[in-house]
Amino acid sequence: MIIVYEELRKTVKIWLTYPLVLVFWTIFPIMWVIPFIFQGKAFVGALSSQAFADLTGTGQYIPFVIIGAVVSTYMFSALYGIGNAFREESYWGTLEYLIGSPASKGFILLGKALSEGIFSTFFALSQLLFAIFLFGVKITLTKILPILLIMSFLLLALYGLGIGLAGLTLLIKESRGIIHSLDDILYLFSPIRYPVEVNPITKFVSLFIPLTYALIAIRGILLLNKPFHLLITEMVALLLLDIGFLFFGFYTFNTLERKVRQTGTIGHH
Amino acid sequence: MVAIEVEGLRKTFKKGKVVAVDGVSLTIEKGELFGLLGPNGAGKTTLIKCLSTLLIPDGGRIRIFGHDVLKESLKVRRLIGLVTGGERTLYWKLSVFDNLRYFAALYGLYGRKARRRIEEMIEVMDLVEKRDERVERLSTGMRQKVALARALLHDPELLLLDEPTLGLDPQFSRVIRRFIKEELQKKLKKTILLTTHYMEEADELCDRIGFMSQGKIAACATPEELKEKIPHERLLEIKMAGLPDESLIRNIPGVEDVLMIVDNNRTVLRIQSPDPEGILATVLERLRKECRIIGFGLTTPTLEDVFIFLTGEELR
Repeated sequence: MIIVYEELRKTVKIWLTYPLVLVFWTIFPIMWVIPFIFQGKAFVGALSSQAFADLTGTGQYIPFVIIGAVVSTYMFSALYGIGNAFREESYWGTLEYLIGSPASKGFILLGKALSEGIFSTFFALSQLLFAIFLFGVKITLTKILPILLIMSFLLLALYGLGIGLAGLTLLIKESRGIIHSLDDILYLFSPIRYPVEVNPITKFVSLFIPLTYALIAIRGILLLNKPFHLLITEMVALLLLDIGFLFFGFYTFNTLERKVRQTGTIGHH
Repeated sequence: MVAIEVEGLRKTFKKGKVVAVDGVSLTIEKGELFGLLGPNGAGKTTLIKCLSTLLIPDGGRIRIFGHDVLKESLKVRRLIGLVTGGERTLYWKLSVFDNLRYFAALYGLYGRKARRRIEEMIEVMDLVEKRDERVERLSTGMRQKVALARALLHDPELLLLDEPTLGLDPQFSRVIRRFIKEELQKKLKKTILLTTHYMEEADELCDRIGFMSQGKIAACATPEELKEKIPHERLLEIKMAGLPDESLIRNIPGVEDVLMIVDNNRTVLRIQSPDPEGILATVLERLRKECRIIGFGLTTPTLEDVFIFLTGEELR
């Protein structure tokens, strides 16, 4: 676990050498969520809608979107933080030293994920505070604990995906395009900005995406005041997806790492 | 004890179209400083990467201190310290200490033990004043010292040094060479495999040298034994301003081989002949038509002459 800590320490130290990033991380979370609010207001003419309530069980569009925004922050950081991490190492010229070390690559990636997680949490907290003060979203301690559990289940699956992506990046030497495409796919097929029930295809595909279950569960707790025991189906689905995504991630990474050691392209840009 | 044992190693790229290492067999004893000398593209770096587990060979077998690099790669990685050429192998935004601390953790070193070892390496490499300086603010030579310190952190038995003085100024190159010979080999008793295309470096440092050309080991012996392969004890050396047509010299009867070294507008010709004095007048006559002769004389063969004699290739 010391590798996880040292990786975290290294990443944060490197980030802190770019002080402007902190300004970005303070302003951007709020800027990001405002267009959704305006968009919703323009469509339904108010901050709640009956049509929306028929699909989601809650008429509160704004809290719905803010929860989606907060949770999707972790999605982006998992994909970008882990998927792109080895790409950065290759630019820095340090990738061969990481791959050639006896350290577990899984722990190195976990360290990278945790450092991304810290910044994501900072990001998410800004959005939550915004939601609490401006839109009256109520969060109590009894709601926070199950939400943290759901988030940790979600993160396992997302990190699995990120680790697979890191392997793919080792092979194809490109990450931004894939990450943004994947990001768009996840946005399309999971209920981040809208209820996936609006279309039968999105509704079907969303069943295979962990974000769907996490968002249903978190919104259930926050907006519909559902007790945690009524969310067992979502938690079991998340757990199964965790196993699948983690297996997929590590298998892909190990296979592709071996592949680049055969082709001799580890250090290539 | 055998430190490195390579048998019939083969590595190709681009689906077999490019043969980088072609059936190399090599044995290096514990404590030996072995040099792989060859021009760019000869396969030296590919061989080093296969040894360091960064590349999976197509065929052949490698054992490091008896451990198979494919089957026991984790054990092998702990036995190896790697230094590659080029400036960007460290985190430029981190300090010297933080770089070493991170890499120490990758090798299972942490806490007080790691701190003690890092401080020791910083002192050995004469980096005490630069300890908290960001790597981006260091000179190329200093960065190479940090890279060497990193390779030594986990006290490996074997050091793989790929072009360790590449891009360094002459003064720093001397410092690094002295460190490799005096500290690493003589004092710390490390086994060292060094690749270089600087013949002076190989000549000065190595107990044995392997000439690598087109993926093969063309010759392997001590520097003295290699120099004895040149049939003549003396070579004719001519220094001139301008760039002569090499074929004019090669056509002279009695000339066996010609090495031409060009640096800016200066050229040095090293000519092999059984009778260097006898051909001198003809050589000078032909060269004067194209260049201004600065000086000439008889000299003893260098490793570069031997390399050209054995492989027909130039090192630079």
